[in-house]
Amino acid sequence: MNTPRLPDLEIRPTPFHLRAVAAALVLVAATFAASAEVVSTPHVKAELLLEKPSIAPGESFDVALRLEMKEGWHTYWKHPGDSGEPTDLTWSLPPGFTAGAIQWPYPQKISLAPLTTYGYEGEVMLLVPFKAASDAKPGTTARVTADAYWMVCEKVCIPEEAKLALDVPIGAAPAAPTGPAAAAFASTRAKLPAATTGWNVAASQDAKHLVLRIDPPQGVTLGGDVQFFAATGPLIEYSAPQTASVEGDVVTLRLVRSPYLTGTPERIKGVLLAANGAAGGAPAAFELDVPFSAAAAAAPGVTAAAEPAAVPPTLLVALALAFAGGVILNLMPCVFPVVSLKILAFVQSSGDDPRRVRAHGLTFAAGVLVACWILAALLLALRAAGEEIGWGFQLQSPGFVAAMAFLLFGLGLSLAGVVEIGTSLTRLGGGSSSGYRSSFMNGALATVVATPCTAPFMGAALGYAMTQSAATSMLIFTALGAGMAAPYVALSAWPALLRFLPRPGVWMVRFRQLTAFPLFATVAWLAWVFGHQTGIDGVLRLLLGLTLLALGLWIWGQWVTLSAAERTKWVARTAGIGFIAAGLVLAATSAPTATAAPTATADEGIAWEVYSEAKVAEQRAAGRPVFIDFTAAWCLTCKVNERIAFTSDEVQQLVKTRNIAMLKADWTTKDPAITRALAGFGRSGVPLYVLYEADPAAQPRLLPEILSPGILMNAFSEVK
Amino acid sequence: MKRMMRVTSLLTLALFVGAGCTADAAPPASPYPAPAIGKAAPEFKAVDTNGKAHSLSQYRGKWVVLEWLNYDCPYVKKHYNSSTMQALQKKYVDKGVVWLAIVSSAKGKQGNYPPDEMNALTKEKGASPTAVLLDEAGTVGGMYDARTTPHMFVINPQGTLMYMGGIDDKPTARAADLQGARPHVDIALQEAMAGKPVSVPTSQPYGCNVKY
Repeated sequence: MNTPRLPDLEIRPTPFHLRAVAAALVLVAATFAASAEVVSTPHVKAELLLEKPSIAPGESFDVALRLEMKEGWHTYWKHPGDSGEPTDLTWSLPPGFTAGAIQWPYPQKISLAPLTTYGYEGEVMLLVPFKAASDAKPGTTARVTADAYWMVCEKVCIPEEAKLALDVPIGAAPAAPTGPAAAAFASTRAKLPAATTGWNVAASQDAKHLVLRIDPPQGVTLGGDVQFFAATGPLIEYSAPQTASVEGDVVTLRLVRSPYLTGTPERIKGVLLAANGAAGGAPAAFELDVPFSAAAAAAPGVTAAAEPAAVPPTLLVALALAFAGGVILNLMPCVFPVVSLKILAFVQSSGDDPRRVRAHGLTFAAGVLVACWILAALLLALRAAGEEIGWGFQLQSPGFVAAMAFLLFGLGLSLAGVVEIGTSLTRLGGGSSSGYRSSFMNGALATVVATPCTAPFMGAALGYAMTQSAATSMLIFTALGAGMAAPYVALSAWPALLRFLPRPGVWMVRFRQLTAFPLFATVAWLAWVFGHQTGIDGVLRLLLGLTLLALGLWIWGQWVTLSAAERTKWVARTAGIGFIAAGLVLAATSAPTATAAPTATADEGIAWEVYSEAKVAEQRAAGRPVFIDFTAAWCLTCKVNERIAFTSDEVQQLVKTRNIAMLKADWTTKDPAITRALAGFGRSGVPLYVLYEADPAAQPRLLPEILSPGILMNAFSEVK
Repeated sequence: MKRMMRVTSLLTLALFVGAGCTADAAPPASPYPAPAIGKAAPEFKAVDTNGKAHSLSQYRGKWVVLEWLNYDCPYVKKHYNSSTMQALQKKYVDKGVVWLAIVSSAKGKQGNYPPDEMNALTKEKGASPTAVLLDEAGTVGGMYDARTTPHMFVINPQGTLMYMGGIDDKPTARAADLQGARPHVDIALQEAMAGKPVSVPTSQPYGCNVKY
């Protein structure tokens, strides 16, 4: 048997022991048969390898290109990402030999801000499937050569070329893989993406994202730690975070669209890497190739065909809408209690210096704006962190709801006179710094409590803001706050208006006490929302907590007075705070109940079914028109709409005659699927009403946020 | 009331802080809106290698091409060593197009040269851009989200972005691949200047990363 040719190994006449060493080397090389000719370029060591000592005639086998990069340098995957270029091989083969395409192990993300590329650091083996000539003669060697080309980059990029050669010993029969190269071949094969036949993968998109819904067959659990490497470009923004949400075995992966991608991509091709996707929690890679068209019709979000329905308003229109929405927010039930607080303050300050009143108006406006900005910043930060949230999201957290109930109940008690505030009351509008502070805090409070009311107009503007850059979002929120504060600024700028208000007197105390009741009503509503999230036991804890709050405030009001002894005050303060804290803990520790998803409800005399993407697809496939009600318990507008519009006999009749599938998407507690669906329609909050015609190609129709039976009847009677 | 409001303010603050803790630190977002086809191209000001100031708005009424440049990048070399970039520059500058080559390499990074050396290089390569703009701070690069060298933009006389992306559709550094490549920028300019819609208005930019 021929020994493979060794690279540049000249055996000169040498002393015996050196010759022995050389001979030993030849033997070792012959054993591994991988007659590597290592070529070193300035940044890469490259060689071609075999895993078997010999190859039989006609046998299929793999040849590896092994690249060892200098530390800090990398070469590229088949799709390089933002920059770079894949390694390329051009073969020269003996007659009868064939070579296939490079099999790429999954790459790693290599980030050099602001760009991200897909490549390999350290070392990599690229496998190429070969077939030996069937008439190859055992005992000979076949020499294959390759012109290799790669781009190797650190901070700068260098294109390098090398001529590589490999002698393939031909054996009589197929040999088993042996030697160290065999292990490297095996570990490289473990990194090749597996085929995904039998997987159910669907692609959809919205204005900013490509969405993959990945449903692997039984026995494959991907987990939430997944990332997608796009195999073509332009497709996704390589450096953008990818958000994965897991429901059972189904993983939904949201990928930010590349700004260089126009329209709908035909397919989404790439490799999915699940960090714990293989048995024993090892990483596993899968080849994905998802056609877009088939999935588009079934996807609930705004898909390619439906894109025009979600054309975002221009910035100016959005700002105007946000301003108008802000003004209207003042009339919403959730802001009303604070409005009454503010009116009270205006009444009290009506006798004051007009300049001071104006200053209070502006301070209030500043409070509104700052709170808007903080909310916007929070929203942006959370969005960036990959949280699936939207307007009103705070109220999806029972802790927040409990805290709001405490805040408003405490305020109500103080207005009702449980805590003695007689002396500070007169000071409220009196121009002290704390008076301004209270104006500011009033403004901030108004904003916080306004969040659950997505007023008409505001939905589209906020949805727009959520899809825009941080700066644009901030502008939208600013317009919203400005609109909300506008009436107060106007009122304080023209004190003449205030002169129409009656002179101070005992009626003021009564008026103040009266303003407590809207607050109590709000607390009742919050308790109801809390009940939806935590169940009846949670409501009991909240109410007991509020009782403790009342007790604490009462103690405070009774004994923390100007005339009381220091010791009495100290004890009363400690006891008061103790009760309040205990109450808060009691309420806030109520465990959220996993709301058992009902399969159907019959509210408002309509047989509602529970919304899911699959349900929409199924109903549309069955040729039924579909109506989706995106709602939440804490959304007052939604509840009012449902009570007014859906209870109409005519509407219910139309639902039956037109055979409309009525789906309810309840967003009371956090639900990523619903958040995504909302985003798909360019919205970040509820209410949202979507009507699909029976025709599967028809685009979804968005109904107004304020529904009347007339609007629904018109919409439903047009359904074909 | 005053005391109550103080309690209120503390509570409100606590709520915000509490909510804030649940959010991870947000990655720094680009301070500029992403450039988009059909939208106004971002207005910029920059100084060229001869100390002359240029702004996009001063070229209203003219077609403008932006070329991100790094003479030491192999991908840029591909288009300069084969003289295709120079030919493209000449073809359109002769038609009155303003061709601005922009170097966003930071000081000390590859492709950053002092103005006179840059002029010498431009002359040596026989290139004929209207001007080579120096953008060491990466400001213009940030505005246009320039990712690679080359990275090309075509702007119409109204200041609207007509094309952005790669110079052609063969994303390699090999001169051999110039054969048979679709010259995106050439075609976009031909189409747009003839008043036709640009058939391929965006493509994946390819090349070296911009050395910000």
